Amino acid sequence: MLRTENLGKKYGDFTAVDNLNLEVKEGSIFGFLGHNGAGKTTTISMLTTLILPISGNANIGGYDVVKDNLKVRNLIGYLPENVTLYGDLTAVENLRFFGKLSGVKDVDASIENILKLLEFTEWKNRKVKTYSKGMRQRIGIAQAILHNPKILFLDEPTSGLDPQGTKELRDILLLLNQERGTTIFMNTHLLSEVTKLCTDIGIISKGRLLLADSIKNIEKEFPEEKSLEEIYFKIEGAKR
Amino acid sequence: MNGIMTLARKEVKTAFRDNIFLIIIGLFVLLSVISVYIGSSTKNAELQAYQDILHLLKSQGATSLPSPPAIYPLSVLSNIVSYVSMIGAVVAIFLGFESFSGERNNGTLKLIAARPVYRDQIVTGKLLGGGMVIGVLLGIILIFNLALFVLVSGMTPGINEIIRLLSFFLIAFIYMMGFYAATMYVSIKTNDSAFGFMLMMIIWLTISFVLPQLAESQRTFAYALNATAQTVTQVSSDTVASKMTELFSPAAQFQNIGKDLLQMIPETSNIGLGEVLLKQIGAIIEILIPGLAVLLLSYKAAQKEEVL
Repeated sequence: MLRTENLGKKYGDFTAVDNLNLEVKEGSIFGFLGHNGAGKTTTISMLTTLILPISGNANIGGYDVVKDNLKVRNLIGYLPENVTLYGDLTAVENLRFFGKLSGVKDVDASIENILKLLEFTEWKNRKVKTYSKGMRQRIGIAQAILHNPKILFLDEPTSGLDPQGTKELRDILLLLNQERGTTIFMNTHLLSEVTKLCTDIGIISKGRLLLADSIKNIEKEFPEEKSLEEIYFKIEGAKR
Repeated sequence: MNGIMTLARKEVKTAFRDNIFLIIIGLFVLLSVISVYIGSSTKNAELQAYQDILHLLKSQGATSLPSPPAIYPLSVLSNIVSYVSMIGAVVAIFLGFESFSGERNNGTLKLIAARPVYRDQIVTGKLLGGGMVIGVLLGIILIFNLALFVLVSGMTPGINEIIRLLSFFLIAFIYMMGFYAATMYVSIKTNDSAFGFMLMMIIWLTISFVLPQLAESQRTFAYALNATAQTVTQVSSDTVASKMTELFSPAAQFQNIGKDLLQMIPETSNIGLGEVLLKQIGAIIEILIPGLAVLLLSYKAAQKEEVL
């Protein structure tokens, strides 16, 4: 579904992402782990065609993120960190706008379906600025999956959510993955979330990929560590 | 094209949901209506004064009666020139100051850019949306003013007046769009909406008040020179310095065009529209060029990664 080869990005002299080689399988939930400033958001920005890599290449569903950027955008859904959407518009109006931009044909029917799936129908005609952070995040997910993307990119999706909101979001992502077969690529630094949600992980530090594999394989590889947290700190500590 | 229209419609919807923007629009419409009412009442008072003098002279048996004052119907709407020049510009600035920086701050610009639309389509959509809002606003003001003009003055504008009026509103549209495009460019370039707004307000103050005031002070100086010198050869009141100063003020140029189109200058009140436009072609170009220049810069700036 997603493959990068020697993908790189620099800002002046600073190397944000350095020769990233990554593969994400179709139908998986991939957790991209790393501390703040490790290069997670830069990576997701390149994969969602928002910024251009300076080296290497990446393709999603067989399309190059630079050469075929419009085709890639049809395949992806994206929820950046801390999106507040259009506060003066209702949830339906927000979704209609993003749905039409994505070229969704029967946009109103799609909105109804998504809102039912996310159990949000009750609040759909309220202005977004009246929503809680968790409710806004659900509408954020809704706009990202409205056009039924093959792969969903989420940047720190649980940031700022309370435990209840976090659990609700996790349930939604699992539902999407299981019922729609949506591949999920999720940036996070919360190991507890990764353990509960992801099938595969990648660990990035200072722009370099330290490790990428399925959680099962990683646990086999590190039999002495009792948790993913211990594995993470061992890898991070060893390769710093 | 579909994406552009979707973006434009969203701009219109969000603009008309913004309470502060609605208050500014309300103020704009209200002031323009009051200005027409005052203009019409003044003209009616002028006519009434003429009738009274006529009546008095006739009652005294005078045979030589003064000719009626020249009435140029559109001059009743003359205050609109100032309102569009000042408040119209503020409306355009308010409409555009968050066009990119606001979207950047609430994360929606990334959501738009990650969809199958080109960056130049985003700029075009926002420009079209801003244009639709400004067009609707000017349309409302035009209808209100025409209706009030007919009601208060009792005069019906002829086809010549209507064409002049429509031309004025077209020039007003171009003038306001220039401010909108400039504000959009500033919004693309800065992350801080408040800074962008303040910067545009300073630019607005400079070109709407400071520069015209400087030009006016040059004229006053020439007048004082003539009055003191008392020579046969008088210094023209429009000095090179005053003209050059005004050259940098689209607001002053807009007012010059407006005065001619709305029959505020007796010498140009009866000439055809073509002649007026020809006389003011330099001023029209001066209003158009800065707007087009910043629009092109906006298209270029929107391609950069930092815009997100």
